[in-house]
This record gives sequence, C-alpha cells and structure tokens, in this order.
Amino acid sequence: MNEHTQESHDHHHEESFVRKYIFSLDHKTIGKQFLIFGLIMFIVGGGLALLFRWQLAWPDRPLPIIGASQTYLEEGEVETAADRKWEERYDDDKDSWLETNMPSGIIDPNFYNSLFTMHATIMVFFVVVPLLVGAFGNFLIPLMIGTRDMAFPVLNMLSFWSNMLGTIIMIAGFFVPGGHAAAGWTGYAPLSSVPELSGVDWGQNLWCISLIVMGISSLMGSINYITTIINMRAPGMTWFRLPLAIWALFIVAILLLLAFPVVASALGLILFDRLAGTSFFSAEGGGDALLWQHLFWFFAHPEVYILILPGMGMASEMLPVFSRKPIFGYKSMVYAMIAIAFLSWIVWGHHMFQSGMNPALGMAFMTTTMLIAVPSAIKTFNWLGTLYRASIRFTVPMLNTLAFVSMFVIGGLSGIYMANSPVDIYIHDTYYIVAHIHYVVFGGSVFAIFGGVFYWFPKMFGRHMNEILGKIHFWISFIAFNGVFFPMHIIGVGGHMRRISNPTQYEFLQHMQWINVLITMFAFVLGAAQILLLINVFWSMFRGKVAEQNPWQATTLEWQAPTPVPHGNFGAIPHVYHGPYEYSVPGAESDWIPQTQPNGESLPDEPVPAGAAAD
Amino acid sequence: MLKWLNFPEWLPENVSTFGKGVDNLFVAIYWITSIAFLGVMITLIVFLIKYRYQEGRSAGYIHGNTTLEYVWTIATAVIVFGLAMFSLPQWNKIKFPSQFPGDPGAVVQVNGKQFNWDMTYPGPDGEWETDDDLQLENQLHVPVNEVVHIRLTSDDVIHSFFVPQLRLKQDALPGRFINVWFEATKPGTYEIPCAELCGFGHSGMLGYLTVHTEEDYEAWKSERWPDTETKGVNVE
Amino acid sequence: MNELEHTSYTSTEGENRPISNARLAVLVLLGAEIMFFAGLIGTFLVFRLGSTTWPPASQVDVRLPVGVTGLNTIVLLLSGFTMFKAQQAIRQGLQNALRNRLFLTGLLGVIFLAVQGYEWVRLVHHGFTLSSGVYGSIFYVLIGCHALHVLVAVFWLLAVFIGATAGRFSVDRHVGVEVCAIYWAFVVLLWPILYVLVYLI
Ligand code: HEA
Ligand code: HEA
Ligand code: CUA
Ligand SMILES: [Cu+2]
Repeated sequence: MNEHTQESHDHHHEESFVRKYIFSLDHKTIGKQFLIFGLIMFIVGGGLALLFRWQLAWPDRPLPIIGASQTYLEEGEVETAADRKWEERYDDDKDSWLETNMPSGIIDPNFYNSLFTMHATIMVFFVVVPLLVGAFGNFLIPLMIGTRDMAFPVLNMLSFWSNMLGTIIMIAGFFVPGGHAAAGWTGYAPLSSVPELSGVDWGQNLWCISLIVMGISSLMGSINYITTIINMRAPGMTWFRLPLAIWALFIVAILLLLAFPVVASALGLILFDRLAGTSFFSAEGGGDALLWQHLFWFFAHPEVYILILPGMGMASEMLPVFSRKPIFGYKSMVYAMIAIAFLSWIVWGHHMFQSGMNPALGMAFMTTTMLIAVPSAIKTFNWLGTLYRASIRFTVPMLNTLAFVSMFVIGGLSGIYMANSPVDIYIHDTYYIVAHIHYVVFGGSVFAIFGGVFYWFPKMFGRHMNEILGKIHFWISFIAFNGVFFPMHIIGVGGHMRRISNPTQYEFLQHMQWINVLITMFAFVLGAAQILLLINVFWSMFRGKVAEQNPWQATTLEWQAPTPVPHGNFGAIPHVYHGPYEYSVPGAESDWIPQTQPNGESLPDEPVPAGAAAD
Repeated sequence: MLKWLNFPEWLPENVSTFGKGVDNLFVAIYWITSIAFLGVMITLIVFLIKYRYQEGRSAGYIHGNTTLEYVWTIATAVIVFGLAMFSLPQWNKIKFPSQFPGDPGAVVQVNGKQFNWDMTYPGPDGEWETDDDLQLENQLHVPVNEVVHIRLTSDDVIHSFFVPQLRLKQDALPGRFINVWFEATKPGTYEIPCAELCGFGHSGMLGYLTVHTEEDYEAWKSERWPDTETKGVNVE
Repeated sequence: MNELEHTSYTSTEGENRPISNARLAVLVLLGAEIMFFAGLIGTFLVFRLGSTTWPPASQVDVRLPVGVTGLNTIVLLLSGFTMFKAQQAIRQGLQNALRNRLFLTGLLGVIFLAVQGYEWVRLVHHGFTLSSGVYGSIFYVLIGCHALHVLVAVFWLLAVFIGATAGRFSVDRHVGVEVCAIYWAFVVLLWPILYVLVYLI
C-alpha cells in the first residue's frame, strides 16, 4: 500500500535482522511479537498465582524450592516487611529481597498483597489484552479485511515497543524498596494514594506510570485498528461482510480508545496525590475516596468486555469452520456486540454496591447490569444455533471453542448472582467473585486464545501445531481449570473473603480449608499443563508439520493469502463477493465458498467499493 | 457430589431478620441459573453428539431464524428484568436509611482502622463524645431480637464490615458515616471479618459480634455502666 | 506527523475513501482526548457538586482572574478563527496568506499561554497552590492539562509553519495543515467549556 511496502514486496530486497524481527513494521511480525510476549507473561502471571496458591493452602508451611532464608534459619526469626513501618522499609538495604518478602519461606502479608495485585495486573493488561487485541488484532485485521498492512505501520511498531516499556516499568516495581503495588488490581484509594497507609512507596508509583504507558500503547493500537478497518477494507468488503472477529476487534478498539483515557486521568490524579501533595482521594484534604472507584470502574467495566469480545469474535470464526455451517444470526451477533459495548458504559456501579454510594444508584445499576445479560444470551444461543444440524469436527481449536462457550456461560450466570444487589451484599468480595472472574477470563478469554493460537498458527508460522499434544493440553487444562475454579464458588458461598493471605485465621472458614488445598493442587496441574502449550508452540514453530494455504478449508480472506504470508499479504488485492460464512451452500461444488469467489444465486456479484456503506 | 452442586447448602447459618430474604433470592437465582445452565449444556451436548461429523451427511445451510431469536431475546429480557424488579424491595429494606426500622435496641459507632474495629457506645446519655462513651476494641455486643443501628466509618483506608451470618456487608469510608442496621435472631458469637483490602493486616482484621439474650444484655450493660439505671441505656 | 501524511498520500489502493487516513486518525485521537478531559471534568463536578460552598470553605478568599481570563478566551477563539482562515488559504493555494495566518495563529496561542502563565504565578503568590486543598488541586490539574494541550498544539503548529515556509503544501496536498487544524480546533473549543465551568459557575 505505501511505496515502501510495495517496493519491498516487488523486489524482495533483504531486510536486516533488526528491521525484520525487532523494529518490524509488518503487522504480522508485530502480531507475532505480541503473541510471544503475551505467552511469556502468562507464565509470569500464572507463576505468581501458584506462589500465593501455596500460601492459601498451607499458610504455615515454607514454600518448596525457595524455602526459608538463611538468616531465618540461623536466627529463628526475622522482621517481616509487615512488621516495619514504611519509612523504615523505604531505605532498607540490609535485607535481601527474599528476606524482606518471605523470610521464613512463608509469604509476608504485604508481599501476598503485591502478588495478587501483580497477578491480576499482569494477566489483564500484559497477557489477555496483548494476546487478544495485540496479537490477534494485528495479525488478523489487515488479512481478514484484505489489505496490505495497517494504516500506520510506524505507529503500530511504537505500540508494541511502548507496551514493552510499560512492562519493564511494571516488572521493575518488584525490586524497589517498599515492594510492589499492593492495593489490588483495582488500586482502591486511599490505600493506593497515600504511601503511609500501605507502606508501599515507588511500587505503587511505577504501577500507575506503567499503566499510563500501557494506555498510550493501546491508544496507538486502537487509532490504527479503527482507521484501518474503516478505510482500508478490500473492495466489496462491506460492513456486513466483515468477519465477526473483525467486528469484535473494531468494537474493542473503540472501547479501548474511550475507556483508557479515563483511567489514565485517574492514575495521574493518584500520582499527584502521592507525589505532589494534593488530596483528590483523601477525606482530610476535601477529597473523596469513592471518586477513584467511579473513575476506575467506569474504565474497568468496559475493560472486562475488552477482555471477552475478541474471544467471542474468534469463537464465532472457529465455530462455523468446524461446524461447516454459516454462523447463526450474523447480524444479531453484530448488534449484540454493539449492545454489549454500549451497555458496558452504564453498569460500572455494580462493582460498588457495598461501597457506600447512594443506594438509589444501586437500584439503577442492578437493572442495567441485568440487561447486559440479554445480548450475551443472544450470542450464546446463536452459537448453539450454529451447531444445530452441523457437521462437527472435534479439532483442537473446536474443543477450545466449545470450552469457551460453556465456561463463559458458567461465568456469565454467576454474574447474575452479583448483579442482584441484595445477593451481592453477601457474596461481594468473596471467592464467589474470584470464581466469576476466572470463569469469564480464563474459561472465556484464555480458552479462546488457546483455540485461536491453534487455529491461526498455520497461517502465522506456516506450520501446524501438534494435534495430539494439543488435545492432551486441552483436556488437562479443561479438567484442572474446573478443579481450580469451580470449588471457589463453594467457598465463596461459605463466606470466604478474597484477598486474605491466611484463611485459617477465621473460625468460620476452618471447615472449608481442605477445599483450598484441593484448589491449590489443581492449580499446580493447571500450571503444568501450560508447559505443554509452550512446548507445542515453540517446537511447532520450527518443527511442526508444514501447513498448506488453507488447511481448515475456511472462507475468510486470511486463508486465501499464500502461506507463509508474504510482505504485503496478497498478490493482488482480493475482491469480496459475499459474507464470511458460506459453508455447505446447497449445490456448490465444495462445502465452502471463499469470500473471494462469487457464489452466484442470491448474493450480489458486483464488487462494492470499500468504504461505501452498503448493506 | 450433589452437595457440591447445591450452592445454597454451603451458606452459613442465617441469624438476621433480613438474611432470609437474601437467602431466598440466592436460591431463586440458583434455580434460574441452574435451569438456564442445564438447558444450554444439554442442548450443547445433544448437538455435539447428534451433529458430529459423519460420512455422507452434510451440514444444513441455515443463516438464522428471526422468530426464534426474538423469542429467546425477549424471554431472557423478561426473566432478568423481572428478577431485578423482584429484588428491589429487599435491597431497599437493607440499605435505604429512610426505610430502616426505628426504635433501635442499641446504637453503636463502628470505626474501621488499620487493623481493628473500634466500637463506640454512646452510653446512657445517648450522646456521642461524652464522658460515658464506651469504647471497645473488636467487641460488639448487641441484644437479640432487637434492631441495632450502626454508624460506620473509618479512620484511614476503606474497610468493609462483614458479618457472614447476618448476610450483612458494608464498606466503611474515611470521612463519611454510613448507617447500617440489622436485627439478630439468635444469641451467640460471630466473627466480623474485614472484607475490603486495607493493607498488610487485612487478613486477620477480625472483630467479634456477641448477640446476647435479653437478660445477658442487661447484665452486660449494668457491668459497663454500673452507676446509671440500666433502663434507657443506648436509647438515642 | 510525516508518517501520517506519507501513508495516506502514497496509497494507491482505496482511492475513493470518504476521509483520508490521517484525518480519520486525528478524529479518533480526539475521541480519546475528549474522554480524558471527561474524566477530569467529572472529577471537578464531583467536588463542585459535593461541596456546599464553592470555593470550599477553606479557600473562600480565592478569586480567580475572571476578567483577564475572559479576554484570554477571546484571544484563543480568535486563534481558532485565524487557523480556519489559514486552512481556507491553502485550499485556494495562497502560500503567503497561509504562512501569515499560521504565524498569527501561533502568536495568539503563545499569548494565551503567556497570560495563563502570568495569572498562575500571581495565584501562586496569593497562596493558591496545587496542594492547597481540592479546589487548588483540581484547578491546576484541569486548567494545566488544557494548557499542556495548547502547548503541544503550538509545537505542532510550528512544525506545520516550517513546512509552509518550505512550500510543502499546495491546493491538493495539504493534509498536514488540515489535521493540525482539527487538533487546534479541539483545544480552542474545549477552552470555553472549561472557562465557564471553572471560572464562571
Ligand atoms: C471477561 C470478563 C468479564 C465478563 C464478560 C463479565 C461479565 C459479567 N459480569 Fe463480571 N467481573 C469481571 C469480569 C467479567 N465479567 C471481573 C474481572 C470482575 C471482578 C473485578 C474485581 O473486583 O476484581 C467482575 C465482577 C463483577 C461484578 C462485581 C461483583 C462484586 O465485586 O461484588 C458484577 C456484579 O454485578 C459482575 C457482573 C457481571 C455480569 C452480569 C456479566 C454479564 O455480562 C454476563 C452475561 C452472560 C450470561 C448471563 C450467560 C449467557 C446467557 C444465557 C445462557 C442466557 C440465560 C440467562 C439468564 C436467563 C439469566 N461482574
Ligand atoms: C486474565 C486474567 C486471569 C488469569 C488467566 C488468571 C489465572 C489464575 N488465577 Fe487469577 N485473578 C485475576 C485474573 C486472572 N487470573 C484477577 C483480575 C484477580 C483479582 C485480583 C485482585 O483481587 O486484585 C485474580 C485473583 C486470583 C485469586 C484470588 C487472590 C485473592 O483474592 O487473594 C486466585 C486464588 O486462587 C487466583 C488464582 C489463579 C490461578 C490459579 C490461575 C491459573 O489459571 C494460572 C495458570 C497458569 C500458570 C500457572 C502459568 C504456567 C505455569 C507454568 C509454566 C509452571 C511453571 C511456573 C512456576 C511454578 C513459577 N487469581
Ligand atoms: Cu480492614 Cu480489610
Ligand atoms: Cu463489571
């Protein structure tokens, strides 16, 4: 499309390693960079979860491998971080990092708080968003809409590298005096905004700064996605011929664009409170602690749909392919996503039912939250409809997609309990919420990612992933996932609070402690299963079975491009003749008709110019 | 195994007057969602078996079914909207200060602070910040079968007052007083964990609610304020 | 903004776009900017509406320079007008007029910033600072963020001005001027809202 790309496409001149793999402008390479980045961060985030899962199961047993520190073994007891005032810890250089955070091999309470804070922060902002939006968004958008690259390749590269910058800042937080941010991923003020109250000093500042940088990174990404999707669709690719994954990514880009600046401003205010002596969030100076919650959730509720919508879109790609059937209710799928995106702006208060905001608002937010179940129901039933009279192939992507659908339903239905404000009085801030979180983000988004990686891998790397290893990974993950997170409903109903490092301190939780042990055991199995995924991904990149151009016999444009996809994607820009899901068309020769091939009869053959909003 | 699937069985014993209402809603949602879940899952599994790939059978060419889509959209909307409307009175009853039952048998100010609950009784004169105020750390004493009013606040960060058996939870905000009420129906001692992350001592921030029988409560009061005639204590 | 220009003008596929990539991108960016300020304005309103008196009781003696800032508002609005005229100039290919009007716009922008800066110094001298309660905090953050945006816009304008002196724009090749004008319009139009909110009511 631009001269540079065109040229290199034609002349195949050699690019330097740095230009090709590191500061690449090619959307496909940037997508792969995001993919590898996200998978590595998944290990980091999951590793943190395993650390604190051990603590939850055996609060008085030293961690394996890491064990007790030397000083502890010699002296019997060491001051822990929690014993010290934050001023003391601030210029504390006598202890090693391990001694501050887990002296007796047991996680210090403040470190525990940092662990789940960072677990969630990393999983949400450094795993799921980079994977779903960064990796799949970058790789798929130009290919699926039939163009040569993003509208602004340089901006695209900057988006990845500012994302890396944000990561470095975030990881650095673990090693500053005072420890990393420990106010939860929700960073409730004034715990987060007044250093004296948490004992955390630069950790929290870095957390804020890193998230602002991540916001800028997504801003660049979403400007690119929106412009590209609006302006650069191939001829004939009208809005209602877009694959649902693209619709999802388009909507998500808008959500990201509009949501992140709000939290960026709020994070800025926290930094002012911490560093410049203002008091936006402390009552003494006339500030308001609830203000942060409003600003945060106004952003973070759309954010959680940012985490699920691309997954929904990708599931809507894979289901038709492996059912050999058009998606059921294409347009209502689109409208449902738009409705979810729209409603997601007016439900944020459901996180604040017990926060002390006006109870009248609680009534309003309960109603809007309940309504958001309706578009989700439409999507679920349409997925079921797609399976009706299908011809289902149980490939690895399909298995993961089916897991996505069913686990999302569990997570969504548990959302109904909390949406109900009287019931939320009881289950708010218990493991019931933790169960909900993981059923939607792991059972939902992460299974969609598993499926998506497997499904698009042949196009990305020109090789297949191993089917058998994929199935083993899927089944262990699926079973262990339920083993970890289903019992969380139970202890949640039993009243088990979230964010506590030692459940055995409470009498009324004693009888459920064995469930915590069970959960932890499953968590280790779940973690081990992810090693299989990594092996499969990295091994297949170099050793996998070589893939043909369209191994799944799919209709969308990315599969019509050659494999491996050259710079510039397509020889000639394809023309699009019909919607994306023409499977099993009666009378057709094969059971799939690519979007680039006219299928006569009812659908128009004339290519419609891109940008003209037909349909 | 069945017990695992029957969530409501895991609820701790309810000892408050409004707790029953919360539990009933919980059970109602439990049934609605269970039926929705089973419906989806059974359909899914039946489809997966019935429409699995078989030699010589090809898939149908179906783009949708408008009537069906209307039906399930409207059905879901009616169910969830109905549920919301049905639950509102319960919410109002618990959280709207204007609907609190009056004539409390005890009024207490509860202060969350890192990492304790401070309970302040106004004393016989019913006034705050007078000499006969009584401050207890992590101990809340109330009479059974009487309405209790609580003024909830915090000294530093946000805490959350949670008594599982009362089905009561409310965040305590620094700089604000939030009114809460409950009426316990069974004497005993219950834990008051803090449910909102409030710093390194959050885990273990724990108070105790003692619900006394009428006589016990009178005895407890006369022990605390021996000089005054016990009648009239804790009346606003 | 060279990148923006570059891509949109060398593209041979997708000729008939209703709106160029660069312009679309800036409009999208403004969406984010609007939400950013919405967050801050929301914060302002929370404090404003949550307080029985305004300025809050602790700072009743603070008097914002309503009059001077009012004049300054007119300066900024004028710069919006000259920017609009600059755009018209290049649409007709008037190179000289473009340069002059860009210069004038930039000058007005700088005057606006200078006056703002001067008023801030005076306010600080009166003891009204960032850390003197929420009133000061939100005032400086909100108005400061706008000033920062004006500053960015001025630098952007400078780049465009240099381009204009080098004769880089023509009747059918001036998207660089257009996108800058869009951004300029945003900072200009945002200001009266802030003025009314923060200074007048
Ligand atoms: C991907 C992320 C994701 C998604 C999609 C959702 C989806 C939903 N969430 Fe969730 N939520 C989170 C991520 C997500 N959530 C996270 C991370 C938190 C915790 C934040 C924190 O505090 O740390 C949270 C917390 C959270 C709360 C706050 C709880 C509390 O702190 O007390 C609430 C309350 O209303 C809620 C509700 C909902 C609802 C109603 C939906 C709905 O969209 C679900 C709709 C789906 C269905 C209902 C299933 C399909 C429908 C059918 C099968 C039809 C039949 C259904 C009926 C008849 C009811 N969520
Ligand atoms: C996308 C989001 C996402 C994902 C994928 C996960 C994945 C997991 N989460 Fe997470 N979680 C959140 C988002 C997520 N979580 C959020 C938002 C919160 C709320 C935080 C808050 O309260 O602020 C939360 C909170 C949370 C809690 C509650 C903490 C508390 O309140 O005290 C728990 C407890 O068990 C938990 C567990 C797990 C586990 C076991 C996994 C597992 O699925 C992870 C499995 C993966 C791995 C384990 C990685 C691979 C492992 C290996 C390759 C092994 C080798 C490595 C080592 C041993 C170091 N999570
Ligand atoms: Cu107090 Cu948690
Ligand atoms: Cu939400």
